[in-house]
This record gives sequence, C-alpha cells and structure tokens, in this order.
Amino acid sequence: MPSIELEGVYKIFGDEPEKALKLIDEGASKTEVREETGQVIGVQDITFKIKNNELFVIMGLSGSGKSTLLRCVNRLVEPTKGRIMLHSDGKDYDITSAEKEELREVRETQVSMVFQNFALFPHRTVLDNIAFGLEIQGISQEERERKSQELIEVVGLEGFGDSYPSQLSGGMQQRVGLARGLATGAEALLMDEPFSALDPLIKVEMQDELLDLMENMQRTILFVTHDLDEALKVGDRITIMDGGKMVQKGVPEEIIVNPKTEYVADFVENADPSDVLRAETVADKDFRLDENDKVRLDELTEVELGDEGEVLKGYLSGTPVPIRPLDEYERIEEEALLFSSPDTPISEIMRARLDYTSHPVLVLKNQEFIGSVGEKNILRGLLEKGRGE
Amino acid sequence: MNKIDSFPEKYFAAVPGIIGWVVLSARTAFARVGASLLELPAMPASIPLDDWTVAVVDWLALNLGPFFDFIQLMLNTINDALLAAIQWIPIFVVEIGGLDIRFPVWSLLLFFLLWYLAGQISTGLLGLVTLWLAANFGLYVETTETFALTLTSALIAISLGIPSGILAGISDTVHNVIRPVLDLMQTMPVFVYLIPAVIFFGMGAAPGAVATVIFAYPPSVRLTNLGIREVPQELVEAGEAFGCNYWQLLMKVQIPVARPSIMQGVNQSIMLALSMAVVAALIGAGGLGGEVVRGIQRMRVGQGFVAGLAVVFTAMILDRATANIGARE
Ligand SMILES: Nc1ncnc2c1ncn2[C@@H]1O[C@H](COP(=O)(O)OP(=O)(O)OP(=O)(O)O)[C@@H](O)[C@H]1O
Ligand SMILES: [Mg+2]
Repeated sequence: MPSIELEGVYKIFGDEPEKALKLIDEGASKTEVREETGQVIGVQDITFKIKNNELFVIMGLSGSGKSTLLRCVNRLVEPTKGRIMLHSDGKDYDITSAEKEELREVRETQVSMVFQNFALFPHRTVLDNIAFGLEIQGISQEERERKSQELIEVVGLEGFGDSYPSQLSGGMQQRVGLARGLATGAEALLMDEPFSALDPLIKVEMQDELLDLMENMQRTILFVTHDLDEALKVGDRITIMDGGKMVQKGVPEEIIVNPKTEYVADFVENADPSDVLRAETVADKDFRLDENDKVRLDELTEVELGDEGEVLKGYLSGTPVPIRPLDEYERIEEEALLFSSPDTPISEIMRARLDYTSHPVLVLKNQEFIGSVGEKNILRGLLEKGRGE
Repeated sequence: MNKIDSFPEKYFAAVPGIIGWVVLSARTAFARVGASLLELPAMPASIPLDDWTVAVVDWLALNLGPFFDFIQLMLNTINDALLAAIQWIPIFVVEIGGLDIRFPVWSLLLFFLLWYLAGQISTGLLGLVTLWLAANFGLYVETTETFALTLTSALIAISLGIPSGILAGISDTVHNVIRPVLDLMQTMPVFVYLIPAVIFFGMGAAPGAVATVIFAYPPSVRLTNLGIREVPQELVEAGEAFGCNYWQLLMKVQIPVARPSIMQGVNQSIMLALSMAVVAALIGAGGLGGEVVRGIQRMRVGQGFVAGLAVVFTAMILDRATANIGARE
C-alpha cells in the first residue's frame, strides 16, 4: 500500500547551496556550477511518484546521482530543496519535514534499505546482521531467529548463519545485505544496486525472487542499477539520470523504442529488446479485408473476421484450422494458428515460432484482430527497436 | 644533460667548507660582540609559577583533605583486597636435594587463566614459569604487590578512560577539551606527579595508584576516541537506516565496531600502568620497583637485575593476556 512521491527534489553538496540553486535556475550545467561555486550537484529537480506495488528503476552512469536520490527518500542524505511524501500503512508522512523521532519511526517500520557497498556489521554474524532491523523493532530473540533463518534460505545462504561477513565472498555479503533489507517487513524498499556483485546465475535467481516478492506481498521498490537488462526485466518503470537530472522516465518499452536524448539512446543501444518489445508494437497492423471478409497474412495463411473484428476462422492453404493461444503451443498436437495479446513480448512469439509454427501469429486485443506478427515484423522490430513503426 | 648531472656533486663538495666557515665566523663574532650576552647572571623567576603551584597545592591539601582521604581509603581498599586475594592462595614448599623449592598454587591458576585469555598454551606456560621463578628467587611478595597495584590502577584508568573516550568520540567539544589535558598528562615527566601525590595521599600504595592512574588513563581515552571516530560512515548510516536511536547506534554499532581499537587502548593502559607502578616505588609503593630502587641505592647489581627481569616477565604476561582479547569474539 505504500507510495512514494517526490516533488522538485534538489540536493546540492557544499556549504553554499543557495548560490548553486541560483545558477541552476539560470540554466547552468553541473560542471559550470562546480567551477563557479565549488558546489556539487547531487540531484536536481526530481519529480515522480512511485505507485503502490511498483518497482521503479533508476539508471544512469556513475556519478549521475542515483544513490543520492535514493538516499534522499529516507533522508540519509538531507535534500536541499523539495518535498518527499510517503504514504504507507494508511498514514501520510512528510519525509522532508519529519522530526527526528518521526523519521526514526519511518525508518524502523516503513522504509528499509539495501546498501550499494553492503555496509554489513563486521561484529555480527550473518544471522545477527539479518536480524538487525528486527532487533531495533524490539522483536523477541526467538521470532528474530525464525525470520532471519527464513531469509537466509531465500537468499541461498543456508549454513552460513554463524559466519562473520569477513568470511564471505563479495556476492555472499551482498545477499546478506539483501536479506537484512527484506527482513524488517517494511513495504517500501530502497535498493541501491542490490545485485551488482552477484554472478549471473544467482543474479537471475534473485531477480526472480524479487519479482515473486512483488507478486505475493505488496512492496513498493525504488531500485538503482547499472544493468540495463536487469532494469528492463524487473522494472515497471524506468528513469534515466544524467548529471543529477532525470532525462527520461517511462515503461521499459518506451525507453527503448523512444529514447528522448542521445544519452538515453546510447544507454539503451545494446539492450536486448526482445523481452521488451510487445507484439502490438511490431505487428503488421496494415491489413485489408477482401470481399469474403478474409485477410491474407501470407501466401498460405488467411483469417476470416466477423463484424466486430473478431476472428471467425483461420485457414492454412485454404484448409480451416483451429485458433489457439500462444502460451499453450507446447500442448497443441494438430496444426493451428496462434494468437497472442498485444502485450506479449516478442521473445515469446519467437520461441513459439521456433518450436511450433512458422506462420504469422495473430494479435488480438479484447478478441478483436489488430494485426499479425510474421518473421519480417520481428526482424524489423529487433533491428529498429520498434522505432521504424 | 651533462651539466645537470654534475650540478649537485660540485655543490655538495663545497658544503662542508661553507659550514665550517659559518661556524667559525659565528664563534668569533660571538666571542667578540656577545661576550656579555653569553655570561648570563643567574636569573630568578620573575613570574613565580612554582610558588603559585605550591600555593594551589597547599590550598587543595588544606581544603579538600576529606576528599583526598576518601580517595586514599578507596584506593588502599581495592589494592589491599586484590593483594589479599592473591596472597591468600597458598604456596607449597617441597624439599628437593636439600633446597626448599616453592610451588605457588597461583602459578597453576595463572597458567589456566592466561591460556584462556590469550588462547595459547605458551602464554599459560610463561605465566607458570614466571611465578614459579619469582617464588624461588624470593620475589613472590614483590611480584604480587606489583600485580595488585598495576591491576588496581589500570582498572580505574580504564573504567574512566573508556567512557571519556566514547564522549570524546561522539562530541567534538569534549574532544577539544580533553585533548590538551591528555597531552599534558602524557608529556609531563612522570616523577612530577609523585610529589603532589605524596602531599595529598601520603606514602604507600594510594599515591602510587593515583600517579599510575594519571599515567595510564590517556591511551584508553585516545584509542577509544579514535575507534569511535573511525567507525565507517556507512555503518553508522546502516544503523540509522534501520531506525536506531542515538543510544542504540552507540551500543549496537559504534562501540562494538570500535571494539578492537578500544581493546588496544586497554592493553596500552595496562602496560603503562605497569611501568608507572614500578616507578611508584620511589614514593614507597613497594613491589618489584622497590627491589630495583634498593638495588640502586645499595649498589647491588644482582638484586636490581633479578627484580628488573621480573618486571620484564610481568610485562610480557600482561601484554599477552590482554593483546588478544580484542581479536577474540
Ligand atoms: N557526501 C558527498 N559530498 C559531496 N559530493 C557528493 C557526496 N555524495 C555524492 N556526491 C556527488 O554527487 C554526485 C552523485 O553521486 P552519487 O553517489 O549519487 O552517484 P551514483 O549515480 O550513485 O554513482 P555510482 O553509480 O558510482 O554509485 C557525484 O558527483 C558525487 O561526487
Ligand atoms: Mg551509487
């Protein structure tokens, strides 16, 4: 149920932030501000809202202000200007103006954090590190141990509960930090590159774990990462930061299909778009009905449409064939035409085409035929990342 | 290229000559011009800081007498209790080949204690041998006295030093106030403490303990302060991010993370306490220091050497016993 709202948030590092703010108003860049005033811009003019149960990703190059922004949300970094609101547990917290005790309470119960450099306590065992937040909440020893043990299993560190952080590898330490962040049960999570030190296999496992968590429990997550593929995979929405500014914000596909600046385009250039591009985006929507209400999709394939645009029949070389959902293709014995929803990633269509059919896949939106995805559409989509459309 | 290479050599060759010339001319110049300057008359202090000090000390002794008596009583009590506890454990005497060889039970206890504290059997053995030798060299009483005085003083120094260090670690104001005090305590020649200590606390263990506490206090403060200040910022932030209040941050993050440094301070305090406990013999604190002092006064090389050796062994025991505590969990 939590949501987080940022309104015109600035963070200037240095002792004369007003000077810097004035220059920023006059349109000076980060470098100019530093040269003229000696003040360093952390972030500037950030406004967005993270909705309930949304995973909001911040991306950007090193030094672009990702951590600074994340830390403003629990005020480990004191924002210079702007407003941050947290709606959680049916209460509204004005983070930016919260008094010490209120802020402490928010941190204890509402917002948890996973640190970029782990920040594990060297004097505590893995189990006691994970239990730290629970200990602060005043939860009994027994209960703490039970919960921490649960989380140790979630992050795959069974048997290391009594080890000290210094005895673990970097990747294992990161998982302890992750477990510590999850243990408190806070529904808002701030995660600063939580998977950066993990090997690819465990990384995928942890990402899936996180997505499960989002599905099974209500969590609202602000997630910083360097890894575009990760951002595309876990992010509901992504924002790209450059020099403390937010240069673009949107759902993953928007960012890839429609990069607003050169910087963003460079950023997404090497992304694998197949998980992001949706059937609707790449589909050939330019079809013509013939006199029999039929649409020819390629030499062999035809569909017959009803009055509402619904598909009545499919034909292969003139023979009627059934029409079946794409995600069931593994169970289909006979020859059939497949259909997908507009939001199906083209990677799934590609897989079905590889394993089952070489015929175009129909795209249906609320039963209505809106186009088809054939080989050409997929290739063009991948090459042009959907921009050609 | 060549020129640059030969540049320094040429000039270095001239250096001794130049220095010689400067010194010679300076001497002649002073001899001529500054003769009157060099032969200074005796100069009595025009600002009598020494007299003032006496006045302050006298005033303190007169007006704070009961306070000092209380401290004296307390110190003597702790010291005597400790000493009694140590000396209460018996020594067995066995006649071997016509010699009365003594076996103090303490050497066995010390063996296990040190083994446990240092985690090494060799340290235990060191303690065993030291005490056994001390008993048979006729230094058992002196060694236990030195132990008692050292531990009494170190205990007080540490239990004052760690809290002061924590305060200095979290507050810049305290830090700025306490630093010059520590500097004074550590750089003032140790003998200087002994005089006022005697005036305030009489002769015996109490003034020795006071001087020793003053001497052993700074390292605990310094290293505790340092340890707290060197706690990585990120760990403090981690504590804050999970909702620690001030007290929890201190008890659950700062102090435990600073622990190795704090324990180093404890170790150093104990070592300094020992060295001062030996010197305190000059004001009648007894113990091994007393043996050394008597050795010097009567020109008995052997007596002084054996007692000195006992101090060295005691120091080794104390060091090994406390050096590892910080590392142990
Ligand atoms: N405590 C600080 N004092 C002064 N400047 C700071 C401080 N923290 C961050 N900065 C500056 O703010 C800017 C943003 O830093 P930030 O740590 O947010 O970057 P980031 O995007 O998280 O980078 P990375 O990917 O390397 O973690 C940088 O220019 C940095 O130098
Ligand atoms: Mg960062």
